[in-house]
Amino acid sequence: MNGYIVLETGECFPGKWQGGEPAAGEVVFNTSHSGYEEIATDPSYFSQIMVFTSAMQGNYGADSAVWESDSIHLQGVVCLEMQKSIRDRSWLDKLEEFSVPVISEVDTRKLVLHLRDHGTVWGAMVQADSEEKAMVLANALIETKKNKDADWVYQVSTKEAFEVEGEKPLGPKVAILDFGSKQNIIRELKTRCSKIKVFNSRTSAEEIRAWSPDGIMLTNGPGDPSEVKVTVSTVSELLGQKFIFGICMGHQILCRALGGSTYRLKFGHRGSNHPVKDEILNKIYMTSQNHGYAVKHDSLPSAVKVSHTNLNDNTVSGISCPSKNCLSVQFHPESHPGPRESDVIFDYFIEQLS
Amino acid sequence: MRDKSIKKVVILGSGPIVIGQACEFDYSGTQACKALMAEGLEVILINSNPATIMTDPDNATRVYIEPLKVPFVEKVLEKEKPDAIIPTLGGQTALNLALDLEEKQILKKLGIRLLGADSQVIKAAEDRDLFRKILDSIGAKYPTSEMITTFKDGMEYSEVLGFPIILRPNYTLGGGGGGIAYSQEEYKVMLAHALHESPTSEVLVEESILGWKEFELEVMRDKDGTFVVICSIENLDPCGVHTGDSITVAPQQTLTDRQYQEMRIEAKKIIECVGVETGGANVQFAVHPETGERIVIEMNPRVSRSSALASKATGFPIAKIAALLAVGYTLDEIKNDITGETPSCFEPALDYVVTKIPRFAFEKFPGTKDELSTQMKSVGEVMSMGRTFKESLQKAILSLEKNDQGIFDIKLLEEKLSFPNSERIYHLFQAFREGMSVEDVFFKTQITPWFLEQIEQIVLFEKVLTDAKSLNPDLLLSAKRYGFSDARIAMLLNKPTNAVSEDRAKHNLHPCYFKVDTCAGEFASNTPYFYSSYWSEATPFVMNEKRVVVLGSGPNRIGQGIEFDYSCVRGVRQYKALGHEVVMINSNPETVSTDYDTADILFFEPLHPEHVTEVLRVTQPKGVVVQLGGQTPIMLAPEIVKKGFNILGSSVEVMDKAEDRGLFIKICESLDFLIPKSAIVPCVEDALKASTEIGYPIMCRPSYVLGGSRMEIAENQQELENYFSKHADYISENAPCLMDQFLERAIEVDVDLIRGEDWSVIGGVIEHIEAAGVHSGDSMGVLPPQRLKSETLNKIEVLAKQLGDKLKVIGFLNLQLAIKNDEIYMIEANPRSSRSVPFIAKAGGVPIVDLGIQAIAGLKAVDVNPESYRWKDINCVCVKGVVFPFKKFKKADSILGPEMKSTGESMGRGEDYSEALLKALYSSNFNLPTEGEVFFSLRDKDKKELLPVAQELSKMGYSLSATGGTADFLYNNGLDVVKVKKVTEGRPHCVDRIRSGKVNFVVNTTSGRESIEASLGIRRSCVDYSVPCITESDAAIQVIVALKKQRIGEISVSAL
Repeated sequence: MNGYIVLETGECFPGKWQGGEPAAGEVVFNTSHSGYEEIATDPSYFSQIMVFTSAMQGNYGADSAVWESDSIHLQGVVCLEMQKSIRDRSWLDKLEEFSVPVISEVDTRKLVLHLRDHGTVWGAMVQADSEEKAMVLANALIETKKNKDADWVYQVSTKEAFEVEGEKPLGPKVAILDFGSKQNIIRELKTRCSKIKVFNSRTSAEEIRAWSPDGIMLTNGPGDPSEVKVTVSTVSELLGQKFIFGICMGHQILCRALGGSTYRLKFGHRGSNHPVKDEILNKIYMTSQNHGYAVKHDSLPSAVKVSHTNLNDNTVSGISCPSKNCLSVQFHPESHPGPRESDVIFDYFIEQLS
Repeated sequence: MRDKSIKKVVILGSGPIVIGQACEFDYSGTQACKALMAEGLEVILINSNPATIMTDPDNATRVYIEPLKVPFVEKVLEKEKPDAIIPTLGGQTALNLALDLEEKQILKKLGIRLLGADSQVIKAAEDRDLFRKILDSIGAKYPTSEMITTFKDGMEYSEVLGFPIILRPNYTLGGGGGGIAYSQEEYKVMLAHALHESPTSEVLVEESILGWKEFELEVMRDKDGTFVVICSIENLDPCGVHTGDSITVAPQQTLTDRQYQEMRIEAKKIIECVGVETGGANVQFAVHPETGERIVIEMNPRVSRSSALASKATGFPIAKIAALLAVGYTLDEIKNDITGETPSCFEPALDYVVTKIPRFAFEKFPGTKDELSTQMKSVGEVMSMGRTFKESLQKAILSLEKNDQGIFDIKLLEEKLSFPNSERIYHLFQAFREGMSVEDVFFKTQITPWFLEQIEQIVLFEKVLTDAKSLNPDLLLSAKRYGFSDARIAMLLNKPTNAVSEDRAKHNLHPCYFKVDTCAGEFASNTPYFYSSYWSEATPFVMNEKRVVVLGSGPNRIGQGIEFDYSCVRGVRQYKALGHEVVMINSNPETVSTDYDTADILFFEPLHPEHVTEVLRVTQPKGVVVQLGGQTPIMLAPEIVKKGFNILGSSVEVMDKAEDRGLFIKICESLDFLIPKSAIVPCVEDALKASTEIGYPIMCRPSYVLGGSRMEIAENQQELENYFSKHADYISENAPCLMDQFLERAIEVDVDLIRGEDWSVIGGVIEHIEAAGVHSGDSMGVLPPQRLKSETLNKIEVLAKQLGDKLKVIGFLNLQLAIKNDEIYMIEANPRSSRSVPFIAKAGGVPIVDLGIQAIAGLKAVDVNPESYRWKDINCVCVKGVVFPFKKFKKADSILGPEMKSTGESMGRGEDYSEALLKALYSSNFNLPTEGEVFFSLRDKDKKELLPVAQELSKMGYSLSATGGTADFLYNNGLDVVKVKKVTEGRPHCVDRIRSGKVNFVVNTTSGRESIEASLGIRRSCVDYSVPCITESDAAIQVIVALKKQRIGEISVSAL
C-alpha cells in the first residue's frame, strides 16, 4: 500500500509508507539541513506534520542524547529519502518506536511550494491503496484532530512544577513558565543560574512570586498564542516586577500581555537560516526559527520597542520594554538545531537580573 | 553604505591557468567587475591571462593585460592612481602580489588601500605559525606540527611525530611540493623537495590525519561583523587527498546538527581573529570519524575554487557580494538576486544535493603514477545537482565525459580501491558489484559509511534491473531517480540505448527542471537557473521563437579549457545583443558561462546526449550552437540532429568534411595547400613502402612515446632501417610506429577566421615562436607574425578564406598551418571556435566571437561590414606564453610534442616584439635573470647572427656557457665561455647543468634534425626550473633588447 499526505484543501501527495500510525496535524515545512532529531523532539512542533525540505533524512542515525524533550512531538515526517544509517539506532527505527508515521519519496518540493503559496493547512498521513480511499481516511482523521482542545501549550506544559539545580551557586534564581520548553533553554539557564523552577503554563502569578525568583523565563511552545488560556493574565500580573524574558511562544504571550496582538503567518518561519537584526546588541545574526504566528507590529503600545526584526520579511522578531522590565525574541537563541550566535541573549537576560 | 571615498578600484586577476588556480578566478573577477561597474565605479583590471572573459575590454573601465609582477603593476598603479585594490578575487597570486606591493611600500607611496584583506590578514592566514597562534587563542585544535626550515631539523622532528607524516611547504599553490611520507626513505626525498619548493624555504611537517572526515565551510562576513555560511561542503574522500582532488558533496551530509554548529561557530571565530574585514573566505576542517574530534586544516581569506563551487551550488553569487562588501556595503543592504526580495544576509538552504568530481589528465603524463595525495593534480571539475545524493553522483559521473554510460563495469583492482586515485569511484562501485560489504570497503578506504551505503544502494538497484524481465514504467522511473543514464540501463538490460530512451518517451518519463532558488522553496524565485531531476513531474516551459541553445565545454581538461568558456560567454552575450533568448547548458562550476546571469536560462546539466536532448525537448529552441564549446559540443552534434533539432551555423556535413581525412585532403589540394604526409606502420617493410610516399626526412616515433627518447629523424632508407632495427622492441602491431614528413625549420601558424554566407573576416594569425612539431597549444606565439613574408601572410589569408568557402563554413574556422620555403602546409582544420580565439581577439582587436555569432545568426555582409575588421591595424605586438604542470607530475618523463600538455597561457603586450616577449615570459613565471649564466646551443647558421647577442650579454655582465661547436665559435670570437657536453656526449651534460641550477637563461636553436631529443630535454629542464628558454634566433635577439630596456626601466604598460 502507498502512503499519502492529504491536505484538507483536497490536494494529495503520494509517497512510500515507511511505518508508524496514520495521523493528522498542521502541515508545515522546515528548511534546516541538519537537526531532524532536535526538530522532532521540540514540543513546539506538537500536532504538526513536518515536511523536511532537505532531501536526505536519517543520514547520521539517532542519538537520544540530543533530544529536546522525552518524546517525539511531530505528528508525522514527510521527506524525499529516509536513510537507515545507524549511529545509536537508525532514525527510522526510532520514529517507528514512537509510532510516528513516515512517508518518503514524496515530491516534497511541490508540496512545499504549495504550502508557501497557499499557506499552512491541516493534513493527514495515511496508508491506502488508492488516492480516493486516502482522502476519505485522511478527512476523518483531520476532523477529529482539529476539534481537539486548541490550547496546545497546556497540553505540552509540565503538569507538576519541578526544580532544577543550577551550576552557578552565586547565579540568579529563574522561574520558567513552561509552554513546551526545549531542553536546551533549561540547559542554557542551568549553566548561568543557581536554581531554576519550571512551572505549568496555567500557574498563577502568586504561586510564581511565592518562589521569589530573580527573573522569569517564558519558553517556546506550540500552537496559537490566542488560544492559550490563563497565562496571558498571569504574565500581565507579573509585568513590571522581576525581569521577564520570552522566547518564541513566550515572546508572543509577553506581547499579548503588554497589549499587543498576534496573527497567523501564511506559512510560518521554520529553519536555521533566518537573519535577525538585533538593535540592542547592534548586530545581525542567523537564527533558528520555528513559529506559525507573529506579533503585529502596530498593535504594540508605544512603550514597547521592536528591538529585533526578521530581515527576510521585516516581521517582529523581538521586543524590549524597559519600563516593564522585559525582553522577548521570536527566534531560538537556544538553537538546537541551528546557529548559536544569538546565545549571548541569555547572558543579556542574566545581566538584567543582577 | 558604499564608501564614497572609493571611486576607482583595481581588481587583480590570477594570471595563467595552473593546476590549483584555474578559471574559477575568471568567474570571480568577472562577477566582481560587473558588480562594481554597475555601482558606477571606475574598475581597472590587471591580469596576464588573455583566455579569460574578465580581460575582455568591455568588462572593466580599463583592462591591462600585463604581468602580475610588481614592476608592471606598479606602472599601472602610477598611471591609474586608484583609490584601492581588491586582492581577494585573484587567488593566491593576487594575494601574494598585494603583499609584495605592500612590502615594497608602493601602496603607501601611492596612497592605495587594500580592500577585503590587508597584509596582516593575508599573513595571518598563510603563515602557518601565525595561524596556529590564532587557533590557540580561540581554543581551536590543529594537527601537531612544526615549521621546519632546515633538512636536519626536519629529520629530527620526524622522529617525534612518527609516520605517516604530511609535508606542507609554505606559500605554495594547491599544496605544491607537499605530500604524505609513509617511511623515512620517502620522507628524506620529499623534505628536500618541499624545502626547495617553498619560496621561504619553510615546510610545515605535520602529524597525519589520514582517514579523518574532511569538511569545508564557505563563509562571508561584512564590515559590521555579520557572518554567514554560504555552503558547507563534505569530502567523500577522507583526509589525505587534496580537497581539489576529492569528490565533494554539498551541503554536508553526515554531521549532526551539534557537530555542524560547533564547526560553524569556530569558523566564525577564526574569520574574526584572522581579521578578515569583509568578503568571502573558506575554512577547512577534519573530523575524527569516531570521536568527533575536530581540527582546523586551513583557511583562505579570499574567494577560492570552492567559492565558485559554492556559488554555483547554492545560487549565492559570492564574488559579486564580496566585491560589494569590499567597497563598503553590508550584507543586509544587498538584495538576494535570486529571490529578488530577501536580503543577502542569510544562509542558503538546499533541497537538493550537489556533487563535484575532479577531472584528471594522468593520460597526458605517461610515467606519472595515478595516485592522489595532498598536492593537487586535477585540471578541472564537474558539478551536478540531483534531489538525492544518488541522483547527483550519477549525473556528476556522467558529466565527466569519460564514459557514455556514466558508471560502468570495470575490472576491480584492489590497489585502485585502497589507494586514492583518479579512477577510485569506479572501483568503489565495482567492489559492491563483486559482493564486498560496506564494512570491507570502509576498512580499505576510510570513506564515511554513509557514502558507501549510497553507492551500495545504486549497485543493488543495478541488480534489480539486471534481474528484471521487462522494464515496467515504475522500475524505469525508479532507475532514473537513482540517476542511471539510459545507456547504463540499456547495458544492464542488454538492450540498445535507444530502446530505453524510446520506452521512457512512451511512458512520458521525462525529467522535471527544478529551480536553484537559494531557499529550498521558501520564497518565490524568478531566476531561471535549473537542474534536472526525476523526482517530480516534467516542467513545461514557455516557448520563445527567438530561443537558441549554446552548449558549453564541460570540465576543463588539457586542450579544452577556459578559452572555450570565453567563446561561450562572449557568444551568449552577442546572441542576446542580437535579440535572442539564450539558453546555456554546461557542467563546469568554475566558469563564467554557468553564472545565472550570463545566459537568459541556465541548465546545469551533463553535456551528454541524453541530458542535452531532454533540455532541447522542453525548451524547443530554433537551434543549437555547437561551435563555441570546443570538441565536446561538436561530438554531440550528430545526436542532436538525429533527434530532430537544428544545428546553427556550419552543418554536421561541413564538420564531417573537415574530419574526413581523405575528403579533406582532396579539398586542400584543390586549393594549393600542401599536406604533410604521414603513415602508421607496424614493421619496417611497411615503413619502407610508406617512405617513398612520404619522402625524406621522416620523423619516426613509436605510438607510445615515453620521454621522446625514441623519436628520431631518418634522412634516408639506411637510417630508416637502422631506426627499426634499433627500436624493434617498441614497435609492433599493437604499438605501431608513427611516420611523419619532417618539415625542417618550418614556421607554424594558427589562423582563426569567420565566414558568413557572403563574407569572411580573418581574426588574426599567430606565428609560433617554437620550432614546428610542438603542439600549437604548447608553443609560444606572436601576433602579428614576425618572420613570415607579407606576401606569404597574404597568401595564407586568401587560402584560408577560400577553404572556408569551399567547406561552406558558417561561423568559425580554425586552421593550423606550417610554412616552409613560403609554401603552405595544412596540418589541421577545425570548423569551430578554437583555443587561440581569445588571444587573437585581444591581440588583434577583432571581436571574433561576435562576428562568429553574427555569421551563425545569418547576418549578411551589408549588416556586418566585414571590411572594417582589420587585425593587422594594430600598433602593438602580442606574445602568447604558456604554462606547464610538469612540476605536479614529478615522475612524468614527458616532452613537448604532438600532445598538448600546457594548462594555461599568458599574454605579453608591448610596443614592440622585445617588450611583448619579455612580458610573456614574466607572465608565464619565468624569471628573467639580471645576472648569472646564459647557455647557448646554436645551429651553424645562427651562430653569426647571435654573436652580437652573446657579446652584448657578456658586456652586461652575464657569464656564458655553450656546447662544443658553439663554445668554440664564441671563444674564437673573443668571448669567455664554459664548454658543456651535449646530451649525447655523456655526463655531466648541458641538461645536468640546467638541472643543477647553474643556468639562468637558455638560447637553444638546435632543435633541428640532429637532436630533437636533446632539445626537448633542455626545454623540459628549463620548464622544471623556471629558466627561460628561447628556441629561435630572432626571439633571442628580442629578449636581449628587452633585458636592456628592463635595466633602464623602459617598460611601458597600456590598457587594451
